[in-house]
Amino acid sequence: MAERPHYTEIDHTADVGIELRSHDLVSAFEHTAACMFDLICRLDEIGSGWSRRVTVVGRRGDLEHLMVRWLSELLYLFTSSRILLSRFTIEELDVEGRGGMSESRIVALVHGERMDEDRHNVRVEIKAPTYHSLRIEETPEGWVVRIIFDT
Amino acid sequence: MSSGSRRKSYSTSRGGLTEVADCVWEIAQTGGMRVPGRIYADEKLLPQILSDKGLEQVVNVAHLPGVVRYSLAMPDIHWGYGFPIGGVAATDPSEGGVVSPGGVGYDINCGVRLVASRMRREDVGDRIPDLINALFRDVPCGLGSSGAIGNLSQRDVRDVMAEGARWAVTRGYGTEADLDRTEDGGRLSSADPSTVGKRAVERGRSQVGTLGSGNHFIEVGFVDNVYDKARAAAFGLELGSVTLMIHSGSRGLGYQVCDDYLNVMQGAVSKYGIDLPDRQLACAPIESPEGKRYLAAMACAANYAWANRQVMMVLAKRSIAGVMKASEAELGLRLVYDVCHNIAKMERHKVGGGERLLCIHRKGATRAFPGEHDDVPDCYRSAGQPVLIPGDMGTYSFVSAGTFTALEDTFGSSCHGAGRVMSRSKARKMARGRNLADELRRKGVYVAAKGKATLAEEMPSAYKNVSDVVDVMERTGIARKVVRLKPLGVAKG
Repeated sequence: MAERPHYTEIDHTADVGIELRSHDLVSAFEHTAACMFDLICRLDEIGSGWSRRVTVVGRRGDLEHLMVRWLSELLYLFTSSRILLSRFTIEELDVEGRGGMSESRIVALVHGERMDEDRHNVRVEIKAPTYHSLRIEETPEGWVVRIIFDT
Repeated sequence: MSSGSRRKSYSTSRGGLTEVADCVWEIAQTGGMRVPGRIYADEKLLPQILSDKGLEQVVNVAHLPGVVRYSLAMPDIHWGYGFPIGGVAATDPSEGGVVSPGGVGYDINCGVRLVASRMRREDVGDRIPDLINALFRDVPCGLGSSGAIGNLSQRDVRDVMAEGARWAVTRGYGTEADLDRTEDGGRLSSADPSTVGKRAVERGRSQVGTLGSGNHFIEVGFVDNVYDKARAAAFGLELGSVTLMIHSGSRGLGYQVCDDYLNVMQGAVSKYGIDLPDRQLACAPIESPEGKRYLAAMACAANYAWANRQVMMVLAKRSIAGVMKASEAELGLRLVYDVCHNIAKMERHKVGGGERLLCIHRKGATRAFPGEHDDVPDCYRSAGQPVLIPGDMGTYSFVSAGTFTALEDTFGSSCHGAGRVMSRSKARKMARGRNLADELRRKGVYVAAKGKATLAEEMPSAYKNVSDVVDVMERTGIARKVVRLKPLGVAKG
C-alpha cells in the first residue's frame, strides 16, 4: 500500500481544493496526482499490482494546461476502468516542447489496482480538475501547486 | 429593467454593492467588465454572499465578449469555478458573443423532475422506509453507478444523444405526456452526436437510468403548504399529497463532453484573442466552429440527461407501485415538470425594445418562463412554467411559477436550490461523531445513502435556508411561490 501524500485542503464552498509543496517540478506533477487519488480514496488503501505507461500531451509552454490534461487522463482511468492509482513515476516531462516538438508532454508509469467496493472506501466523486484559481509556482521553498476539483 | 425607476429610493451600499431595487444589488462596471453585475439577495442572505468568492466570479463573467445587460446571480449564489453557482449570463452572437463550457459546468443538464400523486401522506405513513429502500435498490446510485437498463451499444448512446427523453419513451419508458411536461420536450434539436468524442460515448454506455452521487437524490415528500391555490391545482399538487423528486444529470458522458471542450476552448481563447480573468471561463464565439461544435455536443449531453431522468422516473414509479401494491394509474403518479439548471441555450429575448437571439447560460439557475411563452406547454398556460427548487435533505423544497418579470429582468431565470454555505470538508468535520441518518430520522426524514461521506457533505446545515432564497425570488417577482414540499425520505448515492 502506498503512503498518504501531504497536502492541505482549501476551504471551497462547492468543491474540493488542495495545496501542496514539492521540491521540483516532476515531483509536483507526481505529488498532485497522488493527492487527487488520496481525495478519492485514501492512498494507503490502494495497492499497486496494476500498472500502465501513459502519455499526455498539452499546449507547448503551458504548465497549467499540461497539469489539467495529466490529471484528467489519470481520472479517466478511474472513471472508465475503475482503476484507483497509488504510485506515479514520471519518466519524461517536457513543458517547452524540446527538439522542435509542438506540444508539451509527460510520459509516466502509473501503478494502482481495480476498485473493490468491499475494500476501498471512496470518499468523493471528482468530476474534473479545474483551471479556477489554479497555481503552479516555483518559490524559494520549492514548487507550490494549488488546484480545485469539481466534485 | 423594471427596477430602474425605483433606483432613487434604494441607495444602500454594502461591500461594493449598491441596492438598486428591493433585493437587487448591483456591482458597478469597472476595469475590463463589459456590463455591471446584478445579485438577487435580501439582508439575511447578503452577509454569506459577501463572505465567499461568488461575487468575484460575477465580475469575471461580466468580462465575457458579447455579454448583454448584466452578469446575473440568483440568491442561491455561491463560489463555483468559472461562473458562480447561481450565475446567469446572456451573450449575443451578433456582437461576437461567446459560449463558455464554464458557464454550464461538468454536469450538463443537471436538473430536477417532480412527480405528483393521488397518494395522501397518511397512505404512506409507515411505509416510507420500505419506499425509500425500494427506490434505493431499483434506481442504481452511487459513484459510477451503472446497469439500470443494461449496457447500451455505442450506436444506442448516439441515438440517446440525438433523441433525448423521446428515446426512453419509444422504448417503453413513459408516455408522450411526459415529454410535453419536460423543458424543451426533453430534447434539444441542435444535438449532433458526431461532435461527441469516443470517451464520452463510452462513459455513456452504462449510465442511462442511474442517479450518481454527490448532491443527486430521489426524494419522497408531501405538499405541506399551498401559497397559490389556482397554480397548485394547475400543477396537480394538492395539500397533503405525496410527491417524488429526482435530481440528477448527464453523468460521466456530460463530464467528459465538458472536459473535452474545455480543452478545445483553451486553444480557441488564443485563436480568437479573448482576454479572460479566469481560464475556467475559456470560451469561443458562438458562431465560430469551436462554439458551434460545443453547443451541438452540449445538446447531446443535455438530451442524455433528459433520457436518464425519464428512465429513472419510470423505474421509481414502478418501485413505488410495487411497495404500495397498486397500479401507477391508481396511485395517480404523474410528471409535473422537468427542469434543467446547468445549460446554455439559444433563446429569443427582448432587449432594449427589440427581440434578439441570445445564448443564455444558466449555471445553477432554472428557466422561469411565464405561461404565455411559446415554450411553456398548454397545460400551464394560465399558471406559468413550474420552477422546481429542491432544498436540503432536512427542510423543504419549493415549487414556484415563472413570470413576465423573470423574462424582462433575468432572461427568464430563477434560483435552482438552497445553495451551499459550507465547504464539503467543513461539513465532514462537523459531522464527525454524529449519526446524521438518525438525526434526520428524528426530524421525520428517512435516509438511505451509499456513502457516509456523501451524507455528511450534504447535511442540512451545509446549505442556506431555501425558504430565504425562494422568498427573494417571490419579493422580486421573478418566480411566484406555489407550494412547499416537506421531505419524508431520501435515497442518495
